Amino acid sequence: MNFKRILAVTSREARGMVRDKLFFAMAFIVPALLMLTFGYGLSLDVMHSPLAALDYDRTSMSRDYLHRFMDSPAFSFRGYLKSERQIYPLLASGTVRAVLIIPEHFQQNLLAGRPAAVQTLIDGTFPFRAQTVKGYVAAINNSFNLRELSLYLCRTRAMSRRRALAGLEPIKAQVRCLYNRNLRSDWSIAPRLMMMVMMICPPFLTAMGVVREKETGAIYNIYSSTITRGEYLLGKLTPYVVVSIFNAVVLWLIATEVFGAPFRGGRLFFFASSVLYVICTTGMGLIVSVLVGTQVAASLVTFIVTVVPTVFYSGMFVPISSLSPSGRVVARLLPAMYFTNIVSGCFLKGVGFKVLWSDAAVLAIYAAALFMLGYSRFHKRPAS
Amino acid sequence: MVAEGLGPQPAVRLRAFTKNYGRLRAVCGVDLDVDREEIFGLIGPDGAGKSSLMKAVAGVMSFEGGSLEVFGTRIDSEKSAESVKERLGFMPQGLGQNLYPDLSVDENIDFFSRSRLVPAKEAAERKKGLLEMTRLTPFRARPMKNLSGGMKQKLGLVCTLIHEPGLVILDEPTTGLDPVSRRDFWTTLSVLLREKKITALVSTAYMDEASRFHRLSLFYGGRAVAQGSPDEIMAAVPGALVVCKTERQSETLAGLKKSFSDVQVRGSWLRVFVKGADEQEAVGRVGQVVGEGVAELRSAPAELEDIFIALLREKGLVVESSRGVSDMTDSAMPARIEEEGRGGADIEARNLVRDFGGFRAVDGVSFRVERGEIFGLLGANGAGKSTAIKMLVGLLPPTAGTGYVAGRSMLQAPRAIRERIGYMSQVFSLYTDLTVVENIRLYAGIYGLDRGRSRQRTDWILEMTELAGHEDQRTESLPMGVRQRLALGCALVHGPRILFLDEPTSGVDPIGRRRFWDILFRLSRNELVTILITTHYMGEAEHCDHLALMHGGKIVADASPGEMKRRLANETGGLLEVKTDRAAEAMEALREAGFQGVSIHGRQIHLLAPDREAAEHRIRKVLAEKNIALIAVSQQPVTMEDVFVHHVMAMEANGGKSR
Repeated sequence: MNFKRILAVTSREARGMVRDKLFFAMAFIVPALLMLTFGYGLSLDVMHSPLAALDYDRTSMSRDYLHRFMDSPAFSFRGYLKSERQIYPLLASGTVRAVLIIPEHFQQNLLAGRPAAVQTLIDGTFPFRAQTVKGYVAAINNSFNLRELSLYLCRTRAMSRRRALAGLEPIKAQVRCLYNRNLRSDWSIAPRLMMMVMMICPPFLTAMGVVREKETGAIYNIYSSTITRGEYLLGKLTPYVVVSIFNAVVLWLIATEVFGAPFRGGRLFFFASSVLYVICTTGMGLIVSVLVGTQVAASLVTFIVTVVPTVFYSGMFVPISSLSPSGRVVARLLPAMYFTNIVSGCFLKGVGFKVLWSDAAVLAIYAAALFMLGYSRFHKRPAS
Repeated sequence: MVAEGLGPQPAVRLRAFTKNYGRLRAVCGVDLDVDREEIFGLIGPDGAGKSSLMKAVAGVMSFEGGSLEVFGTRIDSEKSAESVKERLGFMPQGLGQNLYPDLSVDENIDFFSRSRLVPAKEAAERKKGLLEMTRLTPFRARPMKNLSGGMKQKLGLVCTLIHEPGLVILDEPTTGLDPVSRRDFWTTLSVLLREKKITALVSTAYMDEASRFHRLSLFYGGRAVAQGSPDEIMAAVPGALVVCKTERQSETLAGLKKSFSDVQVRGSWLRVFVKGADEQEAVGRVGQVVGEGVAELRSAPAELEDIFIALLREKGLVVESSRGVSDMTDSAMPARIEEEGRGGADIEARNLVRDFGGFRAVDGVSFRVERGEIFGLLGANGAGKSTAIKMLVGLLPPTAGTGYVAGRSMLQAPRAIRERIGYMSQVFSLYTDLTVVENIRLYAGIYGLDRGRSRQRTDWILEMTELAGHEDQRTESLPMGVRQRLALGCALVHGPRILFLDEPTSGVDPIGRRRFWDILFRLSRNELVTILITTHYMGEAEHCDHLALMHGGKIVADASPGEMKRRLANETGGLLEVKTDRAAEAMEALREAGFQGVSIHGRQIHLLAPDREAAEHRIRKVLAEKNIALIAVSQQPVTMEDVFVHHVMAMEANGGKSR
């Protein structure tokens, strides 16, 4: 190992990275941009669903019922409809996602103790969203029923309102969600996005950086020189790791400051694991770059080996425990899951080294293995 | 680092060297020795195996068979290859491709010296010297991507030499460069190598660069066909070249082809290489065949390409085209002579200008191409040839100026023009997963030919471009030369009367090139097709009836090749070849003495001088002052390269004004 030669390679690489516009963008702009676009676009909360109502009854009770929906943050009321014919065009165009239809004699029936049917039409194109909207409708309807029933009991059995309510709901479920009390999806997604962006960007940067040299022939400067392959890889990859660490800090700031995700764990431990993770993903780029010869192939292969596993096997969208048994095995073989554990542990749960050391250790082993593999496959005298 | 004295072993020794890529055999069984301090050349077309061999010598690629020794060290593993790399410098193929575009000239050199652990003080000294030598000093701060092709190549050379290797391996350092830069590069290289006592292994695809080497090896199909000094190789096939000029060129050609294997058309000349005959006998034998009505008939010095092809023929490596020039014409071709009765220009460019941002790629280009003429646009990469063609065929709107193709304005009737022309682009636009016939039919469909006509044209094309026997082969499996003919065929599918060919012969071997030119000749003479062709091969220019030399977006000369050479000879006298014992020093001395067009060719110097006797006297005096022994002075015919260099120099002396 000759430090001077490593430095020569590193400083050349760093200059190229800063001066080449495309590379500069890939290194410094794309990660933050990915984080922001995904963060804003990927909110899984279903709030403010546009809602319209067709009220055939037009009584104080029907208005009262509808007000419960209007006041809920789950819905955003867009107005009353005049006829049934208006409903389908609005749903079809996506202007509203749910329509409530209150039949005639709604108040009359209720006051007479007869059930009344309220029809709700929901846009079911996205099952997950429709399911959630359906849940909101049922919950609001339920609470209205409870109130009506308690009022009825008060009136007929001369009970106090409180007793009536208690009698109607003998068991009250007291649910408290730990770590993310309001179940805000951006709190849980923002940190995971960090995991995803740091899984995609460093390998791209690394694979393109090395393969570009192969494509232009600049790699022959290295092959034909006295630089050893270890020196070359170390010199070449250091700038990528440094840039990626810088990006990890930027992404952390975006997660906490822009998306407001709470960070409760130990900063030092999290930083150290982020460095391990970044080395790990840089190593993945190195593996890609020793296997392929063109930038097109490199970007395709990198996409497949990074994006696909993160979407399916990282616990980003689907918890690992919900995967099929074989899926769980795959998840354990890939580094993304371990960093997801670290990320959600450090951000939301506020745990640190004591709980997460094993995940960090796996990342370290992974990083070492990838670099060893890359080193052994990189030759200065290839067959073609 | 220079080896201690002249060691017993050569710098490079190859025995039965073999390199395979999978099942493809790139180099098979080559024996080769490169002696210390010589410039050894590998000459051959693309795919001949030159690069593979050079990469193996540079220790950047493994090989499958035979043995390789570099400075006496047997190279058989990554480890042994590493052990000699300190003494090697390698410059891969591609104009400055291995350099770092965003780094300045200085930074590029610094990277190489730092990665080679050259001590800072020495590195600075060497850099200063090399930059001065290559005249790059004023551009030290300029990013490499903004250098011209010639400067990039010189920077590449500086980077390769900065650690003072004992052996440099330069892979096609001059491909695509303009002749002026090429000459400059060779001069710089010769001087540097001699000063530092460096050995060089250099490859080139240009046959006319053979004289630059001390010794060379001709490569074809992975084999070394011949080896030796340029003179030795020229003598490898005894024979003589005869040139003649006749009125009835086509008939004479057909007659000659029946009696001689090596007949070639070059513009208005027919060239016949008569094997095994001396000059007198050769002229006599050719004279017998051509008979009466010959305007001119004489012997001429053979060129390396003639010898190369004769050698390949001897070794049975040439597949002959089965027929001579037949009088086959396409009866269904549009009766273009009636259609456009009046004679005159088929293509005319008037003051064409094209800017790309702040860069003027084509700068006031005007020329005329007469009907049935083969018109050549000759220039280096980036001279503006392709841009000019693209404007004329309507692929690119001009910034200013106009042009007429087939009597129609390119500004007003680009569609009508496109129906009447065939265009073959630099990257042959073929579908590699289709067969030969499928490709032709596809183009027939694109041009809206009906079934009957499509079949008829396909047959005609297969015959005209000599593709019979390849009909059902996939295009990807075809050799370069066959692909090139297919691309030509596809451009001919709709029976165009004008053909635009953009560097159709780049990378094709000399035999393929000859065959291609034969076809162009038939198209031009028998079918009256007007052909505009661009090329950066100086030698190829001589095939054209008329020639325009392009440099830096401008036309610097416009005449027939013979006329151009004649004019140069009249203007400057003739070309003298000076043989001395120390060529590099002699060159410097002669330059200082004020001789024009001085360049170094291996062990010889070329220069232009009006009066041979007076010049010889002066040369003798200049060299005697420097104690350089003069071996001989001889008159040589001027080459296209001399013409080109002369015009470019004149233009630059005039401050960029053309003509």
